[in-house]
Amino acid sequence: MEIQLKLYGSSKILSEKETLDIQLPNNSDIKKLRDILTKIISEKYSRSDLENLPKTAAFFSEKDEVIDDSYKLSNKEYISIIPPIGGG
Amino acid sequence: MTLHTALVKIEEEKISSEKAKKFIASEKNGAESIFVGKVRNENNGKKVIAVTYDAHDQAVIKSFQLICTNALNKFDKNAKIFLEHAKGYASVGEVSILIGVGSGHRDEAFKICRYILEEVKHQSPIWKKEHYADGKEEWLPGHSLRPKKEVK
Repeated sequence: MEIQLKLYGSSKILSEKETLDIQLPNNSDIKKLRDILTKIISEKYSRSDLENLPKTAAFFSEKDEVIDDSYKLSNKEYISIIPPIGGG
Repeated sequence: MTLHTALVKIEEEKISSEKAKKFIASEKNGAESIFVGKVRNENNGKKVIAVTYDAHDQAVIKSFQLICTNALNKFDKNAKIFLEHAKGYASVGEVSILIGVGSGHRDEAFKICRYILEEVKHQSPIWKKEHYADGKEEWLPGHSLRPKKEVK
């Protein structure tokens, strides 16, 4: 299955586009998505500032709510990656 | 109206303390407190020329409203609150955040201002990318919103 990940903050380094399409095994959850992101980052990007992103990021559902690691993803689902925040 | 919250596209519109003063004005106020956060020209020894603010718009507005409502409930239900934050490319000296509070007493006005600033930093999905004089740029580290029970 495939999901669309809307990129914010430092995660924008992962793509020129606003979203990143990610292939996942069926019935994957957020924990699996973190594992896949870790793999993508280690294979494609040699940037130390991105290494911790899969561990420190939160994820928002389409309802803009934080979803936890056990949340089951659906095919074509659109979710947001929320790297550590720091406005003001 | 008691609350005004907004994300301002800084390349199109400026954040104005005059607008905040007008919004919070009331004959009931014994105190008006205005906090203005600005883009400064240095961070960790690096010469900063600008900051780009990225934001998850809908979630930011939700968080602003929640934070301000909590502030009213916690400190002064009759206070008036104005909160605007920049989004986009802001040069040194530009306003990044403006908090205005009108309240019956100074203590509440100061406390609400401080409370809102700290909560925005810890709850609102906003990110800063600094642009440096040497042409480099960097997203700044921040506060993780990942559920605490998951972080070992």
